[in-house]
Amino acid sequence: MIDLTGTSEFTTTLAQRCHDPYLRCAFYGAAQTALGVTGCCVLAHSPQGCYMLVDAAFDWQGADYTETLILSTKLCEDEIVHGGEELLARTILEAQELEVPIMFVLSACGPEIIGDDIVAVCEDMRSQVNFKIVPIKCAGFRGDQNDGIDIALDAILKELVVDGGKKVSHSVCLIAPHANSNPTWMGDLLWVKEILNRMGAQVLATLTHDTALSEFREVSSAESCIVLSHDAGQKAGDYLTQQFGIEQLCKGMPLPVGFTNTHRWLKELGQRLDAQDVAEKIASDGEKMVVEQCRRKGLEQFFMHREPVAIVADGTVGIPLLHFITEDLEMIPRLLCLRSCLQGAKEILERELEELNLSPKVIYSADVYQSKLALSEVKPEAVFGSNIERHATEELGIPFVFRLVNPISRFRSINRQYFGYMGMLNIIECIHNDWLDRYRSRKRSYKARW
Amino acid sequence: MYDSHIAFRGTLQQLLEKVERGDMVPKLQASHAPPCKFWTAFQVINGIRHMAPVIHGPKGCTYSVSSEYKMNNCEYHGVPLEPTSCTAQNEADVVYGGEAKLLEAVKEAEQRYHPELIVIFSCCCSGIIGDDVETIAHKAEQEVNAKVLAIRSEGFGGDFRSGYENAFSVIMELMEPPTKKMEKTINVIGARQGPTYTEWTEDLDEIERMVYAIGAKINGILCGGCTVEEIRRARAVELNASWCYDWGQKLGDLMEERFGIPYARTGLPYGLKATEEWIMGVAGPLGLKERAIEMVAKETGNLAGEIDTLRRFFDGKTALVEITEFPGPIRALALARMVQEFGAHPIVVNIHPYTVKERMPSIKFLLGQGQNPEVILTKGLFSLGTFRSSWETEAELEMIAALYDNAIYLGSPLRQPGVPQVNLTTMTGYPHFGYRGIRNLARLVQSSMEHAHRPRSRLFREVLYGN
Repeated sequence: MIDLTGTSEFTTTLAQRCHDPYLRCAFYGAAQTALGVTGCCVLAHSPQGCYMLVDAAFDWQGADYTETLILSTKLCEDEIVHGGEELLARTILEAQELEVPIMFVLSACGPEIIGDDIVAVCEDMRSQVNFKIVPIKCAGFRGDQNDGIDIALDAILKELVVDGGKKVSHSVCLIAPHANSNPTWMGDLLWVKEILNRMGAQVLATLTHDTALSEFREVSSAESCIVLSHDAGQKAGDYLTQQFGIEQLCKGMPLPVGFTNTHRWLKELGQRLDAQDVAEKIASDGEKMVVEQCRRKGLEQFFMHREPVAIVADGTVGIPLLHFITEDLEMIPRLLCLRSCLQGAKEILERELEELNLSPKVIYSADVYQSKLALSEVKPEAVFGSNIERHATEELGIPFVFRLVNPISRFRSINRQYFGYMGMLNIIECIHNDWLDRYRSRKRSYKARW
Repeated sequence: MYDSHIAFRGTLQQLLEKVERGDMVPKLQASHAPPCKFWTAFQVINGIRHMAPVIHGPKGCTYSVSSEYKMNNCEYHGVPLEPTSCTAQNEADVVYGGEAKLLEAVKEAEQRYHPELIVIFSCCCSGIIGDDVETIAHKAEQEVNAKVLAIRSEGFGGDFRSGYENAFSVIMELMEPPTKKMEKTINVIGARQGPTYTEWTEDLDEIERMVYAIGAKINGILCGGCTVEEIRRARAVELNASWCYDWGQKLGDLMEERFGIPYARTGLPYGLKATEEWIMGVAGPLGLKERAIEMVAKETGNLAGEIDTLRRFFDGKTALVEITEFPGPIRALALARMVQEFGAHPIVVNIHPYTVKERMPSIKFLLGQGQNPEVILTKGLFSLGTFRSSWETEAELEMIAALYDNAIYLGSPLRQPGVPQVNLTTMTGYPHFGYRGIRNLARLVQSSMEHAHRPRSRLFREVLYGN
């Protein structure tokens, strides 16, 4: 039987009042999305603290400071009392000297509450500057960072995408690759692009990462789109379908993590892109490579066989991981704490649980407290999570934590994917290393003689 | 050529006057932003153990300060990850007000986290709609066991300095009247980020070592990992001394004014003279002068080789202390004093006018102490965009360094102006404070002399300044 306890799992009469969140706000999600456009300028119409969120979003997109710029109007008490529209207009004018092709103007909580009309200001300024301006009303109180991604995609698509007429055969538009808690999610995106390339498909636009402004002109020509997240981007997918007849591929399927999910995902793409043979070849080669690599290098997971485990992650990593660790690594998931709760993602998870005949405790839109409480109740022997769970597991005496999702205290210079076959090896590698770290002795019984 | 790159050249006093007249603060400061008042207030309070913050605002402000000041730094300081909670204000709360929700959140925080102290922070949203966090704190306190404080910390409500000052001011509400004085005991004030991180803990360790070496004791480091109990008994000490003059000043002044606790007003202990002043500033009021003199003589005597190295390096040189990336303005001024002590002529490069504005009290204090170094501000400092500002500043520094045949550079390795350069960001180069600091700085200087001829790598140059 499936035990889907839903959002009210730990809800008491007070539970909706006090949150220790895993996610930032809508303003941050919108900034992440805008900063995926190469060479853009993001202007935060905000006090200077919100600039720090834009800075964090800049890092998340792996933007290059030699080409992408962030500015802030640094609103103070004066602007909050008298309005900040004039300051916004002056800042837009001053930014002319930066010679950027496009500016995204993001409004934070303060200016939205006092009624600054960023849309009108941007409209007024358009004729005075030589770059495009896209206003995005994304105050933090409008939701979490996933909502912010949807808000920004909506604004950007409506502003920059027009019906281009002729469809390009076997073309794809990729949506929300950045709504993924793999700290190097760019690796997942790259894997998807490589797969599509091998299947003869052309990626016309990525919404957004390293997205050239010219890609927006191509969006409506795409035949299909793929939403690369279980946490955000579905609204954009629906919009493209309704507005431009772009068909969404792999809809309702778990993302490609582990043998089964990857194979299904490839198979679906192969069918839609008339590349069944290529898809089967990728799957068989990939599976062979994973097996051989594990045989040669070792598979420490033998020591974790049938261990009760927990997953604390976003939907994008957490939901497909379930199949991988249950079926391929032979662990027993007892708890899932997911950071979001989109309806579509819930439905995918339900199907996964049914297929795997699992009945873990599930908490949607979990906060840090709820996760820790659930971990203390379920008492798994290992947790797939982040650095936050590392602290929790230490306090709760849970033996292992495998840090897969943001935030992790591991520097990665190379983008490592979790999707696909190399992704499986990357996850296995993380497990191995955290397993080894756990057993490193902090004590020395005696000193060496040399 | 030179003039077209220089925005200001004069003394610190002259710069201060210009800033006071409003001449130097650019109307638009669209890039290079420090944190807002909310962030800095949180930074201070975060330094109190078993404190549960209840941030009356959306999730973004909350996760961001937790991520910046708590999650990462917890890793390195052997402390638990404690909660950072909020009311997660949404559109409805902004329209209808969130006071009732806040009250419930405080109660829930007590139930969940069992804290000794709950601190409510207001953010832009709650500040603008007028939610009265102070009244809610008062009400909540009747219903929970923990002490509840509130800070009006909406991000737009003041500069980043005001966040520190308000937070230090609010914690004074916790300080109880003493029943008995704690003899020869001080508070070290002006620290931040506590259980997670106080900037350069090695500097703090050296301060502690010096205090105990003269026979004094420390009640607590406020708020660098202190307990609520240490704050409660903070009025029982004989003296307050600052960890960082800039941030300790407000609390020191207020505690002196309100509770009559003297405050040792000294700058940062960089170099021999400033270190001696810091020690004597503590020892004098505590009646430990003789022991301090003995300690200073002994420590100084043990550093003969290092002092010689520093003199050889600095004597007769022009020392460019550049602060844009590091070490920050107050440390830069302390360094300027130190290099002067060892025979160099200091020039402080790029102390930003908004920094001067926001640190006015500290800068006036340092001027009053007789520190008035030459200051140069280059145009790159005012350039829009971080990257442009950074590469322009590098080019300008190279140009300034080339004007002197005896220039040396103190700052960050993000720059390499082609002269002997002391890298102040070397992780193993701390502490900088006190006698151990002199030893470390001598080591850094020695390395600077030995490797002055080495070129900037292509990798560093192109990463920092483009292709």
